[in-house]
Amino acid sequence: MSPVTTETAVEFFGPEWAERARAAVDAGPDEELRATKLPTYWGWIDNVRATYDASWALGVTDLRDDGPVYLKLSWRDGTCHAAEIAGGDVDADYVLSGTLAVWRDLLGGDDPGRIVMYRRLRLQSGDVLRFFQGIYFFVESLAAVARVPAALP
Amino acid sequence: MTQMSDEVLNAVENSELKQIRDIDIDDVLDYVHRDLKRLPDYDQLYRRYLRQRWDVYELDFAQDVRDWNEGMSQEERDAFVAISAGFHHGERQVEVELPVFMLGGSEESKIYMSSQIEDEARHTVFFDRFYREVVKMPGSTVQEVLDSSFEHVSETFVGPFGLLAYQADDLRRDPEDLAARVRYGTTYFLWIEGVLALSVMKITLSYCRNRGFLPGYYTGFTATCRDEARHVQGGMRFLRDAVQDDPAMLTEIHDTLRTILSINGATSRRIALESLGWSPEEVRRLMIRQLRMKLVDVGIGLPPDIQAMVDRIEPELAGG
Repeated sequence: MSPVTTETAVEFFGPEWAERARAAVDAGPDEELRATKLPTYWGWIDNVRATYDASWALGVTDLRDDGPVYLKLSWRDGTCHAAEIAGGDVDADYVLSGTLAVWRDLLGGDDPGRIVMYRRLRLQSGDVLRFFQGIYFFVESLAAVARVPAALP
Repeated sequence: MTQMSDEVLNAVENSELKQIRDIDIDDVLDYVHRDLKRLPDYDQLYRRYLRQRWDVYELDFAQDVRDWNEGMSQEERDAFVAISAGFHHGERQVEVELPVFMLGGSEESKIYMSSQIEDEARHTVFFDRFYREVVKMPGSTVQEVLDSSFEHVSETFVGPFGLLAYQADDLRRDPEDLAARVRYGTTYFLWIEGVLALSVMKITLSYCRNRGFLPGYYTGFTATCRDEARHVQGGMRFLRDAVQDDPAMLTEIHDTLRTILSINGATSRRIALESLGWSPEEVRRLMIRQLRMKLVDVGIGLPPDIQAMVDRIEPELAGG
């Protein structure tokens, strides 16, 4: 689903965008969006989220000349309580990254599940099996990040 | 599983593509499981591949087009597309993720795996032809047809197939890492091929046979199912040998199954299975049976927590 919002776009991978991304994933999908998929799907996600305690670093490899940059989102007891922009030395449970072209497609409305399935966001570090135990929660959160208006370079 | 007569066995094993149309899908599914207790080695599987490979361009979809447009209801077409789209993308996914597995293992395994990669590519072309020529999905390239059919793929497809993609990446770091191979093999050979694929084959091919529809699809997909027999048997042999060589590998199988089964319950779309003659409960029981048959025949025991997860399996319709 393409992003539909009246918010103004802010700098992609800037601090304000990071905070809006945190708020978006923490809020989760609205009722209109939830109505597009079966309740069992959201029930599964809600169940995973209730005790979720991991951190994600979502990176873009070629946005800046001095190396990759990451949006780190930290979860505690199902709440996304912190967001920060970090460099290549980011420390997170799951570190994923893709090129700016991938992020353009994602923000342009490409299906986030397909982006994962085609491995366009690579899992650089983190346990694959544990990561996939929350995969639909992650994919829907990625979709929420993609709905935050961003001014791309 | 019923005991196969020599006549039926010979028909399943040695039929040319044109004759496969006359074979019952249940006989092919029996054929998949027939050799699981005394698994053939990779040389035998490769020899069988050379005898059984078929030409995807020999299939004639002319009657399928008529059945699709004039015989099937809209509800049947919608359900059929929803189920087979998971296979269309599944075949593509296993085709592109298998080469990394071929880099490890014995030389015999590598030779055999080259044949499985060719099988998966041919199956991808089979679905590409079916979607272009019968369903009339738009697109002039394989990717464009995949793009067209993607809207019919359930959101939960990314669970098993995304897992396989990321496990392939894991394996790429060291293709000889036995634990990584076992985790990958559990997802690919046991779950995607041994459970999901065989279940979808049974559902759609039973529908075609019972209604007398889609002879081109029935022929190609039954031939695909016969190919899957080699894939499942080769895959189960790999898992059995891995555990025999290193009993710690059983933990890797269990851990992978825990993840697969924990993501299995997230159904995002309702598919009108009833229009194809199936109820969700029947599909659920079919999947459980497919999984248990593999595990029992190969001698992979499950701890109580995974047994309980197996009992709670939900219908999931994709394959590769």
